[in-house]
Amino acid sequence: MAHVVLKSLVKTYGAFAAVNNVSLTVEDGEFVALVGPSGCGKTTTLNLVAGLIPVTSGEITIGDRVVNDVDPKDRNIAMVFQNYALYPQKSVYKNLAFPLQMRRLPRDEIDRKVREAARVLDMTHLLERKPRELSGGQQQRVALGRALVRDPAVFLMDEPLSNLDAKLRVQMRSEIKRFHQDLKATIIYVTHDQLEAVTMADKMAVMNGGYLQQYDSPAQVFAHPVNMFVASFIGSPAMSLIPLEASTVNGQTVLTGAEGWTMTLSPLNARKVQRSTTRKIVLGARHSTIKLAKDASPNAIPAKAYTVEPTGDVTFVQALMSGAVVNISVPPNVAITPDEQIWLEFDQERMHLFDGATELALKVD
Amino acid sequence: MTMATGLVDAPLKAKAKRFGFLRQAWDHRFDYLYVLPAIVVMLIVIAYPIYYTVELSFFTTPPSLQLRDKEFVGIDNYGLILSSDVFWRVTANTFIWTLASTAFAFTLGLGSALALNHEFLGRGVLRAILIIPWVISAVAASYIWKWIYHSDFGLIGAVLVGLGLAERPPNLIDSVGTVLPSLIVVNVWREFPFAMIMLTAGLQTVPDQLLRAAKVDGAGAWQRFWHVTFPHLQGVSTVTILLLAVSNFNSFIIPWIMTGGGPSNASHIWITHIYELAFGRQRWGIASAYSVLLFLTLMTLGYFYVRALSSAENKERVA
Amino acid sequence: MSMTSIVTTRRGKPIDAWRWIGRIFLVMMLFYTAVPMAWMLLTSIKSGFAAMQLPPQWLPNEPTLASYKKLLDPNNSVGQDFLRFFWNSLFVSTMTTALAVIVAVPAAYAFSRFDFPGRKFLFFAVLLRNMFPAVIFLVPLFILMRLLGLVNTHGSLILTYLTFGLPLAIWLLKGFYDNIPYQLEQAARIDGATRFQAFVLIVMPLSAPGIVATAIYSFIGAWNEYIFAYTFLNKNEQLTLPVGIQRFFSENTTDFPGLMAASFMMSLPVVVLFLLLQRYFVRALTEGAVKH
Repeated sequence: MAHVVLKSLVKTYGAFAAVNNVSLTVEDGEFVALVGPSGCGKTTTLNLVAGLIPVTSGEITIGDRVVNDVDPKDRNIAMVFQNYALYPQKSVYKNLAFPLQMRRLPRDEIDRKVREAARVLDMTHLLERKPRELSGGQQQRVALGRALVRDPAVFLMDEPLSNLDAKLRVQMRSEIKRFHQDLKATIIYVTHDQLEAVTMADKMAVMNGGYLQQYDSPAQVFAHPVNMFVASFIGSPAMSLIPLEASTVNGQTVLTGAEGWTMTLSPLNARKVQRSTTRKIVLGARHSTIKLAKDASPNAIPAKAYTVEPTGDVTFVQALMSGAVVNISVPPNVAITPDEQIWLEFDQERMHLFDGATELALKVD
Repeated sequence: MTMATGLVDAPLKAKAKRFGFLRQAWDHRFDYLYVLPAIVVMLIVIAYPIYYTVELSFFTTPPSLQLRDKEFVGIDNYGLILSSDVFWRVTANTFIWTLASTAFAFTLGLGSALALNHEFLGRGVLRAILIIPWVISAVAASYIWKWIYHSDFGLIGAVLVGLGLAERPPNLIDSVGTVLPSLIVVNVWREFPFAMIMLTAGLQTVPDQLLRAAKVDGAGAWQRFWHVTFPHLQGVSTVTILLLAVSNFNSFIIPWIMTGGGPSNASHIWITHIYELAFGRQRWGIASAYSVLLFLTLMTLGYFYVRALSSAENKERVA
Repeated sequence: MSMTSIVTTRRGKPIDAWRWIGRIFLVMMLFYTAVPMAWMLLTSIKSGFAAMQLPPQWLPNEPTLASYKKLLDPNNSVGQDFLRFFWNSLFVSTMTTALAVIVAVPAAYAFSRFDFPGRKFLFFAVLLRNMFPAVIFLVPLFILMRLLGLVNTHGSLILTYLTFGLPLAIWLLKGFYDNIPYQLEQAARIDGATRFQAFVLIVMPLSAPGIVATAIYSFIGAWNEYIFAYTFLNKNEQLTLPVGIQRFFSENTTDFPGLMAASFMMSLPVVVLFLLLQRYFVRALTEGAVKH
């Protein structure tokens, strides 16, 4: 196993920059998820690490070796593709053996390793089948096996679960996590599904528009998103972002909604707002941090329920407020009907405040 | 390329751009190796002859084709062609031949593709039989039909006489009025299967869901064809029609073997005429000038051909 | 309701009128297509005398294989010529096919996979070739062949057929390569293969149907070609079938059974080849023009 370092990585196509000045370090044995919406540059970054496309500028280090000009076959990496990329004309056995044959291993050693990998992934009975005779989950496992037999320094995974149905995806998610724990493997994992990233990764790199937005543990990213993009991208349902106007009333900092209501900020939040250069502030709140009441109370803000979605465990209520949709979760026994008048109370400890102009999170210092 | 505009004058910028192209070409130099064999062969057999044809069209070359003795005559060859009656006759024939063959081959191909578009017993066999004329050699086809059109013992004559529709077998390919339509029948016979194959594949791209949706919406067979099927066939139809038109414009074997262009030039089209001028009468200069004219006509057609193909390619990129 | 007229059968089930129009149309097309071929076969098993009668013998009174025996008999001059033409055609077509595959495979692969400057232009240059008729090139090619000392050799035909068959061959194959996921090659390269190994070990086997289709296409094209063979070859012992048959029957203008038998024999190999492999062939031909 080895660590991977990306230093000021850039990939341009003509005038278009697919990857823009991305730097990050993946420690040995770490599971890192590259996550972001489609077109954010995550797959391009992975392909750069794999050596499938040439780097425009910057440096990639695997282990202690700069691999910018090293052929993919010599980078000692393994890759699992979204559509599995199993060789359709070869049996499972031959698919697993292929990377070893390419390394000119002796035949008995190939056989031993292939059977070992098959045993680990519980697919010994599938060895003679062709890929098209396998289910999606089995194909996925073969693809993992083909990466595994090599004993590579780094595993690269490009949306390996996105072609599976929802149930299988959950199951394979825990299998891959298990795989990582057992092997202590260094894994770089690309996904557009933030839930996959949050549940599996040690660290996640959130990307957008070719830029690295935030690189931290899922808990940190979830709790302290650096900007509005990260805030809205991570977590489901998405964090509600409400555009408000800051002002000072009687020496106290308040936020005013489009409907005219005001919210007095706690001293800590007030300090954050005072430090910002704009009066346009965006309030971010996750559904679980908003308290919903059917009656008015001093700190609650009036709103109208818009839609109500019971899911069984919780019921999600959407309300319109200051031109934004606000998501609130309530216990299933709370009955709300659309268009009902409700009152919302925001948890000042756990709310997020963003600069309306730069979209960056406001900080105390 | 990041370069401050205004600071750099235009020629320099163009130069930088050119270097960019060369640089890119150099970066991809190994990619060219794959296409090199193809390009080399094409250059030898195509670029060189095109150059030569243009040159020869300005000379008179002796029948022996001894290039040392050729004589520069300027544009005389072109003048001779455009002022001859035969040229206009042949041109009219060429257009009738191309348009009629293309129209009929496409229509019959479309009809066959549509009629074969649902399952029935023996569909595969029927489709295979309909394709065979396209596979067999045009020389064989010409002989088969020459025999069918035979003015004494031909099948068509025999049937017409047998049914009492004619007193004696008609002279279909030996008379000026009927020769061209008769040859077009042969040409369409060989070509409609091509249109059928292309359109059959095109039909497979028509989404079933859309057809079902149209059915639910109350559209009849004709409306389903017109509003759903036909729009989906437009791309492949354009390509098919262009390919048919080009290949018809370039036909040679059927008229050459069946009639040799006769009687009295009634079935001569450009290609057969050029061939006769060159290899029959050794009028190399005139034949070359003819070829250049043909070439220019085809370039015009080719412009539309490439446009149709690249728009098809663009659509495919987007999809 | 629709514009469709509804015909009701005795059992009361409505039948789409369009379906009947389609069936009638297909029967007519079957006649148009099959009658000439049937007449060729029927004539080929008549005697010369029986073929030339009015009213004709619709079915031969005394079917005979005499014409075929004559064509295939190595002991008489007709048979000698025919068999020689046949072998010439086979040689030229096979060589053309082999070379076309060797040249077209890398070119099509490059057009499908690489993004090099001029790629688009080169591809259209290749396609444009389709536009131009053989005749435009005849005079200069004749001179070129004379220059290369190839007149009256099969080399002249192979070289020309190769060129004229390449554009479509490349187009056909490109369609196949476009449909092979690029990720397979990426996977192979990560698994330790070089670009070339990835191509040979992974892509080539997958494109085998495309290569077969391209090969049939080249073979049929070369087998049926007439105009170059007619121009470049003079000597009787080198002629290919289409020209050879034409030469032969321009001297024996009334032997229609013989002519029909020869036409049948000439068509047989390509028709059989085509029917055996038509699935690949039709798929390949349409792949380029229609995308799924």
